[in-house]
Amino acid sequence: MSEERSATQAKLTSREEFQFLTDLVLKHSTGEHTLVALHDVYSGTTRFANNQIVQNVNVRRVSLAVTVAFGQQHGTASTTDLTAGAVQETVHRAEEIAKVAPPDPEYLPPVEPQSYPQRPSSRPETVRAGPDRRLAYAREAIELCKTDNLRAAGIVSSSVATVGVAASTGLFAYEERTGARFSLTAMGENSTGWASNEHRSIAHLGVTERTRVAIEKAKRSADPKEIPAGRYTVILEPAAVAGLMTWLMWMLDAKSYDKGTSPFSGKLGERILDQRLTLKNRPDHADLLGSGFTWEGLPSNDFAWIDAGVLKQLDYDRFTAKEHQVEVIPTLDAPCLSGNGSTVSSVEELVRNTPRGILVTNFWYLRIVNPTDLTLTGMTRDGTFLVEDGQVTTGLRNFRFHESPLQALNQIEAFTAPMEASSSETGKLLVPAIKIRDFNFSSVTRF
Amino acid sequence: MRVINEAEMSRTDWNELAELALKRIRAAGAEYGDIRILDSTTQVVHGEDRRIAAIRDMRDSGFGVRVLYHGAWGFAASSVMSLEEIPRVADLAVEIAKGSALLATERVQLAPEPVYVDAVVTPPRVDPFTVPLEEKTKLLLETMEKLHAHAGVARSNATLWARRDLKLFASTEGSRINFDLLAVHGDLEATAVHDGRFASRGFNTPHLRTGYELITDANFLAEAPRVAAQAVEKVKAPPVEAGQYDLILDPEHLSLTMHESCGHPSELDRALGYEANYAGTSFLTPDKLGTFRYGSPHVNLVADNTEPETLAATGFDDDGVACQKWDIIREGIFVGYCTNREVAPIIGQNRSRGSNRADGWGSVPIVRIANIGLAPGQAKLEDMIADVKRGIYIEGHGSFSIDQQRYNFQFGGDAFWLIENGKRTHMLRDVIYHGITPEFWGSCDAVADATHRQRYGFITCGKGQPAQSGWMTHAASHARIRKVNVIRGEAGP
Repeated sequence: MSEERSATQAKLTSREEFQFLTDLVLKHSTGEHTLVALHDVYSGTTRFANNQIVQNVNVRRVSLAVTVAFGQQHGTASTTDLTAGAVQETVHRAEEIAKVAPPDPEYLPPVEPQSYPQRPSSRPETVRAGPDRRLAYAREAIELCKTDNLRAAGIVSSSVATVGVAASTGLFAYEERTGARFSLTAMGENSTGWASNEHRSIAHLGVTERTRVAIEKAKRSADPKEIPAGRYTVILEPAAVAGLMTWLMWMLDAKSYDKGTSPFSGKLGERILDQRLTLKNRPDHADLLGSGFTWEGLPSNDFAWIDAGVLKQLDYDRFTAKEHQVEVIPTLDAPCLSGNGSTVSSVEELVRNTPRGILVTNFWYLRIVNPTDLTLTGMTRDGTFLVEDGQVTTGLRNFRFHESPLQALNQIEAFTAPMEASSSETGKLLVPAIKIRDFNFSSVTRF
Repeated sequence: MRVINEAEMSRTDWNELAELALKRIRAAGAEYGDIRILDSTTQVVHGEDRRIAAIRDMRDSGFGVRVLYHGAWGFAASSVMSLEEIPRVADLAVEIAKGSALLATERVQLAPEPVYVDAVVTPPRVDPFTVPLEEKTKLLLETMEKLHAHAGVARSNATLWARRDLKLFASTEGSRINFDLLAVHGDLEATAVHDGRFASRGFNTPHLRTGYELITDANFLAEAPRVAAQAVEKVKAPPVEAGQYDLILDPEHLSLTMHESCGHPSELDRALGYEANYAGTSFLTPDKLGTFRYGSPHVNLVADNTEPETLAATGFDDDGVACQKWDIIREGIFVGYCTNREVAPIIGQNRSRGSNRADGWGSVPIVRIANIGLAPGQAKLEDMIADVKRGIYIEGHGSFSIDQQRYNFQFGGDAFWLIENGKRTHMLRDVIYHGITPEFWGSCDAVADATHRQRYGFITCGKGQPAQSGWMTHAASHARIRKVNVIRGEAGP
């Protein structure tokens, strides 16, 4: 299939069509307030394993959600059927719910009309990409792995979505968003290597470069050795850092903070991480997945969440923000963690400066063990190496760790500049690779 | 589950759409194709901190077309149900399959299965969608009030959930199966704060294919005071001292342990490397089938997709294969996999186990964990506890993590009690145990009898790329595991 739109490609809901749908909903709604949300996505994934395609899919899904409120009573109904009759019936269902719902003391009407900054949320090359492009990338990864007698497993995916939020207040937001992902596990007899990327542009996935990285990791970790669990200096590659940061970011809920059920309770304005670390939202950054607005129609923005190690922001719902007189709610759709001060140029340089340590490619199955101090557990995966005298000397069997990012990210020895990071357990972030002392590995597994 | 006459559920328009797609697939020269048309309704009523925070009624309809062309798969799906969209999507599925075929080194051969023309329906006593919302919100508000009535409870939540799936499966082989399936669930939780710490305690019904009677029978209002009191007791409880303990695990807790340490490694697609880039592979490789000692002779793990009311008991899977019952672990030996029509022949099995399921019309079916349960033993729970000198009794789900081959695992729980000299004493907090799967199950020396058997369901089992949520039920009686390593779940000095 050519890269141009063909008869088999789907046409997504346009701005004008969303305006028409909004008008239709508002015309039929008898509610005091009405909110309309559109999500129309056309996505494709080519999945491969054992050096051949095992799954190849294209899906178009459109959904429209309607929230109707009478006073403080509200209800939401959604549909994937955008025919006029179905939309009208969805409005009716939302109304029927709202009429019998108990008043919600935290309900707030939809936001007033907003102005939105233009974000780089859509790339034409991704919009045009179809199964052929995915297949070409998959073929390249497979062929390179076969050359090294490795088995390739992974995905190439791309999507285009149109997203809209509108309300009876006059609010209207509409945006096209694209996404593409490449993830590869190169498998040897007793080792694996992994690399991944996610980007608005399918042309930026770096398939060749990342395939070579995965291959190199699989080859270098062949015949992994077992060393005892314990506290080690670790060099966490960006994907591993992203895993720790993702859990930290998920726990920033402001209401939990107020109720004393947050690991950050009482710590707003205090230093929680190494003072060289700063976490900002960067929705304008071309390598992040920033968008123009939230699901409620609030514009994205570029606040510093953690500034020089100090917790500056919480994740507010609108009610809690109002309680605290927070006028502009910060968003965290495009997180970037950076280190102030001297950085090293690469992961390789971090390795060169390490007498003895463990290099970690990625973490897997991260979960909270203790929500009070944010202790996490998880396994290392797809490339864990022993570093001795500034060199990677052998692959290692994987470890389980027990650590809180609030502790580990206060034991930093060195870091790189922020790099692209994404994994199956995180979104897309920019984070440095970081060397951390006394990282707690609690047990070892069999491979 | 009641099996009804197809005519009772005939949906003429869906049949026409299905025939149009299948005709298109046949004309393209594909060796196999199927279409699933779904119309799902999900209702969620969610309460939080004494208020009803959300009531949502979600309709999700669409169709997915799967094509096997020259031994390679293509799949396309759409939420636009029209006579124009069907040919576009069917043609796209064929086109994608042709692309896949370019890289095919091993042609997919489907295990044979009889053709079925049938219909399956969940027979509820009380249809959850007919229960007035006022009744549901009243129940949740009263439940949360009871939770907050206990001093020390800072937060509460309570949720009711119901789902109906109307589905048609039609294949080029001639199968035509209609489904009308229900599932219901409810839960409540209290969070207590004390001395700068917080801890939660919950109660939930299993997810089951029943009606609203599941919620009524659960009696939230009677459970709430106990849950609140235990949340407060838990947050004030002493932390566990690290060391080796004998564990008595309750059925709800075991549902997660079984799911992670037995369910996933017994998925044959994982063992063959299909999930290597995401969910992972499996230490239960085909060379171990029939010989590998997975656990002690007390351990019998049985897959049963025929047990009424359980989530995977849908009559037929998304390959159109009839649901079955079989052994995964028999007297401690690994003897069976969960399979579909694609992977079963790869290890020489001539029939699928019927474990191929998709989480919706827009997802391609993949091998899924069956309703795997621990077969009851002979022991009485009181005797099992009495025979423990230093142990911990664990209820419910907490933190969980396991490596991608399913060897090294770690579990917490929802509530923990210290057992000393055969007596269950006070609660503990921050209990985490870890182990290696075959060593752990090898240390199982007692399973309680059938009077203790309970079922718990999962609807968020993550697997596949794009990620899908799998549904299955795990049943068990209490089990005793000797000398397990327990650590304190906190960051430490």
